[in-house]
Formats: sequence, structure tokens, C-alpha cells
Amino acid sequence: MSKHQYAMVMDLNKCLGCQTCTIACKKLWTDRDGTGYMYWNNVETRPGLGYPRQWDRIGGGWKDGALQPSPLPTMDDYGHPWEYNYEQRLYEGKRQPVMPSPEPTSGCNWDEDVGGMNEDENYFFYLPRICNHCTYPACLEACPRKAIYKREEDGIVVIDQDRCQGYRYCIKACPYKKIYFNEVTGKSEKCIFCYPRLEKGEVNACAAQCPGRLRFVGLLDDPESPVHKLVLIHKIALPLFPEKGTQPNVFYVPPFNPPKRENYGKSIQEDPRVPLNYLIYLFGPDVKDVLTRLESELKKTQEGGRSEILQLLIGRDAETRYHVRPQLVQIQV
Amino acid sequence: MRIRLLLIISVCLQLSGIARAQAQGKPAGPQFLSVAAPSTGADELLKVGAKAWSQITPKHIALNRTPPLYDTDEPAGLDIPSVDVRLARASGRLFVQLSWRDATQDATTLTEVPNTPPETRFRKVQTEADDRFFDAAAVMFPAKPGTAMTPSLQMGDAENPVEIYYWNATRGAMLMQAQGRGTTRRTGQSFTASGTYQSGQWNLILELPDLPTGTPLAFAVWNGGQKDRDGRKYFSVWQVLE
Ligand code: SF4
Ligand code: SF4
Repeated sequence: MSKHQYAMVMDLNKCLGCQTCTIACKKLWTDRDGTGYMYWNNVETRPGLGYPRQWDRIGGGWKDGALQPSPLPTMDDYGHPWEYNYEQRLYEGKRQPVMPSPEPTSGCNWDEDVGGMNEDENYFFYLPRICNHCTYPACLEACPRKAIYKREEDGIVVIDQDRCQGYRYCIKACPYKKIYFNEVTGKSEKCIFCYPRLEKGEVNACAAQCPGRLRFVGLLDDPESPVHKLVLIHKIALPLFPEKGTQPNVFYVPPFNPPKRENYGKSIQEDPRVPLNYLIYLFGPDVKDVLTRLESELKKTQEGGRSEILQLLIGRDAETRYHVRPQLVQIQV
Repeated sequence: MRIRLLLIISVCLQLSGIARAQAQGKPAGPQFLSVAAPSTGADELLKVGAKAWSQITPKHIALNRTPPLYDTDEPAGLDIPSVDVRLARASGRLFVQLSWRDATQDATTLTEVPNTPPETRFRKVQTEADDRFFDAAAVMFPAKPGTAMTPSLQMGDAENPVEIYYWNATRGAMLMQAQGRGTTRRTGQSFTASGTYQSGQWNLILELPDLPTGTPLAFAVWNGGQKDRDGRKYFSVWQVLE
């Protein structure tokens, strides 16, 4: 285990699915050769196929202390990146509409807003995903080159590009499929939790740009940090697929709104729009207690009281949402 | 750690099995590789179809598969049971021709990356596929030939480092060094090699520095179609240069 651990909390009740985070990340980190198809940060519609398709069902992670098998997703599962013929339209004066090529057949969030049906009502929500910078990273264990390491000072999991030989055991082992192979460089890449920004005291790009203000960043072990409060004190944020055994350090406040039509006054859990079983599938059985806690906080404010938890979740300003502490995580030389 | 230990044990078992088989079979002791000395020049020896090569009788060398690296590895059959090796000395260099049958040619031509930085370009080079692996082969020998000890077959050991002349059907020839399993590193240097695939067979010629008689050589083949890479491969036991 690392000395400190950076963590992120995302409140799924606030995500607009605008993909600003995705683009912020892409412009900053994956606008290079070979990275077209990869989104270190992606936002997918749930329930849905996910990116890469069916990543949550194909394997990886730990069971009884052993790595679990998984196939490698294919480019069809990620979606082949397409380009537009701007040159022809803008520079060569060809009066054709701008068209994508190759013909898009799949992509991240391809099934946007499709969601599922709960009796006669549609439901969906957005799930932004980055590498979870796990406490027990399956990717790290799987690498025969020892190219992946967890930074002692802040728990961020990174791939040493000099050591990586592109064997892709890590991609198979990661149950969240958050490592991508760059065929141009012949090496694998992943989210670096914006460590160069954190080291300068700046929050992650995806969080900084998020108009929904739903991302909270800080050290899990820093009592002053919002992530510490949300995860460990208030206990209202949960990791995704805890049973995969990697112990993620990205946590989610489960979505519980909006209520179903015409159920005003009923409790969220009595007649939820998002079926409870689906939330249990994603976040494990603890999600029930979290929803109960959230509901009682909501009730408190509806009765004119003040909820510290909801105030924190509203996260009006950056000081509330982020607690980046470069001075705390400096490497001791 | 447990996995690694199991791997080492199983490789040892496998190797002792091979050694035993060798001891029981006719050619007891080390396997010798004879080196031809054709009058042909080096340029000629880099051509697969060169007459000089056809006059050399190949040595048929059995290949073994490494045991699975992880419990999660897909099982792999012995699709490539052997490799034919021909050796020739010319112009102070050692030329090695490896020939092996492989039902699929797993190789591609990657788009060349332009010399200009990506941010100044309108289009970036794209990853075409993320799940393919390519055919490859390698020759390994001690970095210090002439020492009495034969290095560990698992990429040498701390006292006996090895040089690995590795060729990949897509990425070309690269010189590597290692001092034991998991220590293999690219030196950044390349060497001359030429591989051709025809009618279900790879013919690969590698140009090595000249090596003295008695130098042990080991061979490895990777089958991209079987998702081979890293320690997931075919390997021969040490052969000795005559
Ligand atoms: S999410 Fe996947 S890639 Fe990230 S640390 Fe965990 S196992 Fe590794
Ligand atoms: S930027 Fe924020 S609101 Fe927009 S998709 Fe990303 S996480 Fe959701």
C-alpha cells in the first residue's frame, strides 16, 4: 500500500453526459499518434454497452487471490476512430457535406441515452470512468515486465513507457478495461490521474473542466479532504464493482433521482426509477445503506434543516471540491 | 510470486525431461551445430534463395512450448514443433537461417509516423488493431562467449548475461540483452535481418557477429496467431557451435 492515496468521488446525480471531461482529457493526454480510439476518461450511458463494449462482463480482476482470465477487447468493441473530410470541404472547395470516414459503427457512448425500461418508464444515467488507481491493481500484478507501478507517495498507478513491451497482459487483467494499447508505439497507456498537474497543485483536467461540478479530488487519508469525508466519514460514495477485488480509489455517489412519475411523496427506495438491483449490480449491496443515508439527508433539508453532506455534495466552489496537497505527497529524498 | 515459482519449477521439470530424453536418445551430450564456410559473399547470404544456402543441410531442432505464464493464459498447442537451422560464415560474420512452418503469416506494415510532431499535423496515425500479435524469432547466445558456463536458458543469469538477436515480422530486428528472466531490455541497436513468408513457411536470415567454436546458441519462435509474446513462445535447448 502506498503512503498516501489520491482518490476521486463522482456524484452521479449531477452528471450531464456532456463529455467535457472526456475532451479535456483527450486534448491534454491522448491527442497523439495511435491514441485516436482511446479515452482515458470516458462517459457511458448506464444501463448500456459501455466502452469498450461489455467491459463489465468479460473478466479480469481478482478472485480468491488469483487473477481472472479475460479476452482483449477488439477495435470493434472500442469503435474505430473516424475522421472528417474537412480538407475537401474547406480547402479543396468540393461542395460536399462533411462526412465521417470510416463509416462509424460503434464508439464510446454509442448507445447514448438509450438506457433501460423500468415497467413503463425509461431510465438511464451517465457513468464517467477513469482508471481507478486501485489499491490492489490487477494490471500491476499481471505485467511480467514490472512496467506498472503504484507511486509510493500518492498511490497513482502508472505504466513506465520505457519498460513496457506491449504484451497487454495488463489490459486483460484490468476488470475495468482502463488500459489501452497504442499500436504505433507498441506500448500500453492509461490514465495518469493528471499527476503532473497535481504536483503543481492543480486538480485533474477532467475535474477542473466539469460543468456539473460533480468531481471531488483529494487524498483519501487526509481528514480535510472532501473524498475522505464523503467516502470514510459520511459513507455515501462507493467503488464500482467492489467484488472485482482491486479496491478502486474512484468512488461514486449512486444516482437516485429523478423519482418516477406520479410518485411524489414516496421514498426513493419504495418505487425507484433506477431499479435497485441494477445499482446493486454496479456498486454492491452497500448501495442500499447509502441510498437510505442520502434520503434522510434530503428529508432533513426538505424539513428546513441543514445537511452538511448535501452542502458538500453541492460543492459550490473549487475549495470545497478539491484538496490537492502536493506538499503532503512529496517524495522523501 | 507463487506463479513465478511454479513457472520456474515447471520449466526446470520440463528441461530435465528434455535432458533425460536427450540422454536416452542417440545423440548423448550437447547438440552440435556445424557451420558452413561458403565462398559466397555476405550480401548473397542475406538472400533466402541463395544457392549457397541450398547446399547446406539444415539441422532439425525440436521446439518446446513454455508453460503458461499465468493461470489465466489461454492454453496453446505445439503448432510449430521444430525449426530448421543453417549456419554459414562469411566476411567475418555468422549468418543464421531459420525456417519453420507456420500456417498463418501474422505480420503487417504499420503506417510510418511522419517526422513532424503530432500537434502540427492535421491527422494522426491511428492504431489499426489492439489485439494482434506478430510472428517473431530470436537467437540467444552468451554475451561473453568462451566462458565455461552455459547461461540459464531463461534469458541468462546474473553471472552469464546473454545477447538476443530478436526479429519481429512487423517491427523488425532489435538487439536485446538480458541477465535472467524478466530482465530483457532493448539496447536500441538494430542488426541486419531479412524474413520472407511463402507457402506456409517463414525463412529468416539473421546476421550475427562471428562466434567462436563451442559457443552455445538457443533459438526461439513466437507464433502471433497463438497470441505469443514475451515468455509465451517456442524455445530450443542450447546447441553448441562446432
Ligand atoms: S482500474 Fe485497471 S488499470 Fe487502473 S489500477 Fe485498477 S486494475 Fe489497474
Ligand atoms: S464533464 Fe462532468 S458533467 Fe460533463 S460528462 Fe464529464 S463528469 Fe459528466
